[in-house]
Amino acid sequence: MDKKSYTPYMFIAPHLILFIIFFGIPAVFGIVISFTKWNILGTPEWVGLKNYAEILSDSSSTFYTQFHIGIKNTLLFTLFSVPFCIIVPLLLACALNTKTKGQKIFQSIFYLPTLFSISSVILAWGFLFNKNFGPINRMLGNSINWGGIQPYTWIAIVIITVWWYIGGNMVIYQAALAGVPIDMYEAASLDGAGAITKFFKITLPSIKNQIAYTLVITTIAQLNIYGQPLMFSKGGPANSTSVLLMYIKQTAFGSGESIAGIASAMAVMLGLCIIFVASLQFYFLREKA
Amino acid sequence: MIKIKKNGSKITAFIFLFVMALFWILPVLYTVFSSFKTTTEINISGYKLLPTQWVVSNYINVLTNFNNAPIIRWFLNSLLISTVQTILVIIISSSAAYAYSRLKFKGRDFVFWILMSTMMFPSVVNLIPLYKILSILNWIDTPLAVIVPGAVGVFNIFLIKQFMASIPMEFDESARIDGANNFQIYVKIILPLIRPVLTIVALFTFTGSWNDFLWPSIVFNNIESLPLTPALQLFQGMYLVDYGRLTTSAVIAIIPTLVLYLFTQKYFLEGLNLSSGVKG
Repeated sequence: MDKKSYTPYMFIAPHLILFIIFFGIPAVFGIVISFTKWNILGTPEWVGLKNYAEILSDSSSTFYTQFHIGIKNTLLFTLFSVPFCIIVPLLLACALNTKTKGQKIFQSIFYLPTLFSISSVILAWGFLFNKNFGPINRMLGNSINWGGIQPYTWIAIVIITVWWYIGGNMVIYQAALAGVPIDMYEAASLDGAGAITKFFKITLPSIKNQIAYTLVITTIAQLNIYGQPLMFSKGGPANSTSVLLMYIKQTAFGSGESIAGIASAMAVMLGLCIIFVASLQFYFLREKA
Repeated sequence: MIKIKKNGSKITAFIFLFVMALFWILPVLYTVFSSFKTTTEINISGYKLLPTQWVVSNYINVLTNFNNAPIIRWFLNSLLISTVQTILVIIISSSAAYAYSRLKFKGRDFVFWILMSTMMFPSVVNLIPLYKILSILNWIDTPLAVIVPGAVGVFNIFLIKQFMASIPMEFDESARIDGANNFQIYVKIILPLIRPVLTIVALFTFTGSWNDFLWPSIVFNNIESLPLTPALQLFQGMYLVDYGRLTTSAVIAIIPTLVLYLFTQKYFLEGLNLSSGVKG
């Protein structure tokens, strides 16, 4: 074999080898393990669909309860937060697109929180929302227990999430809006179209690909919710913000013996939700073509 | 008539943006200023933004707690992890992208297609087997446990490959005629030309690594080895409602990514558009 024919493989090998070991193999085994009884240490024992049967329909099992609470809260949170994570940045991007004064500064301010880790975000907002010492309650002149009473806990978590997340979506919409020709708006104005008509008839259709894209990545990001309820409300009050990733982590890596098979089955179920959302993108894109 | 209307909508837009910007910036400012307040002031007074008396005692207390919350150590752990991971990503992603985009070899398009199709795969499924692999390698509680698994993403390769497509193949061909081999072409011609996209990949890798929360909290049991982001969780249990110290630790944790952003803002914004453009 001459030198030329194998050098290309040397360029891809470092990534490909690491990718197979640290992504490929775990991905395959993550599914396989969900069909086994395993404590991470010993040899996995094949149990077929038993783990799935247990979390999906054995109401006497704690894992059934945990899975149902976890998936319900995860989906609820996604449902609450995704619309705001799309609409708020879209409005901001439209306002920025008027080329008003201070555009650059505004953009930086809205993008800023996306640079922070969820743990520092929660340390800050945990203070702001604190019942006794937080400025929010002091400003409102009441003593709402944001971290401990519903619906306030969900409201607080959604506010924090929207504040933290929207910067990226906003920048994407800004770039998309900048590409919409101005004469389309001017022609519509001459025809007597108002701002709202223009928004729905011109703006939205022109950036619908970017909306589809952000809708998919945002939904996937929110299905992976973990840090906010863990640190802000500890999953409470009364497990009302205990999300599936918390139970997956606890079941697999908690203080007791690992129940990796069950945790894997939970992870696969969450993964199926994510794949379902991701595949919607292909549907949107085909629609366009 | 149109002009007046236009100015009117500009003013409405400005007012809307101004009010929203207050909502976005006040939490940051309030947190930063509170870290300079005395505990008494935080606990008793109303909601004044600026400290009546500026103190650095919170910073001294947080930074010198070497016993149960070695924040300087955590900070350095994070710095090491994020830096090494960024370098690793740049090397393996750019060399792979070079081969997938500019070299011809058997199975190239097939391998690349397989890699791309795994982007949809939900990584939550990988957590448990990945932990097992790392424990077989004896990497648990070491920086490698977060550096290496976090570096294998395929999206970076995709971005770099897209960028390389704009470089004419004539560059490679004329260098080859001059006797350069693939490695020399990659280092001397391609790498300098793809610096903008490498900067973008580096920035997003560094901030992503710095802010990573779930995975490091799984693979580190030893408090000393923790990176800062998951370690902040421990402060909650330690400082309870001592919000002077809690806000201080939050401020310390956001400094690196904030500084990075201030100097390289343009690349962050370009990077977002690049990724949405190719995917959306």
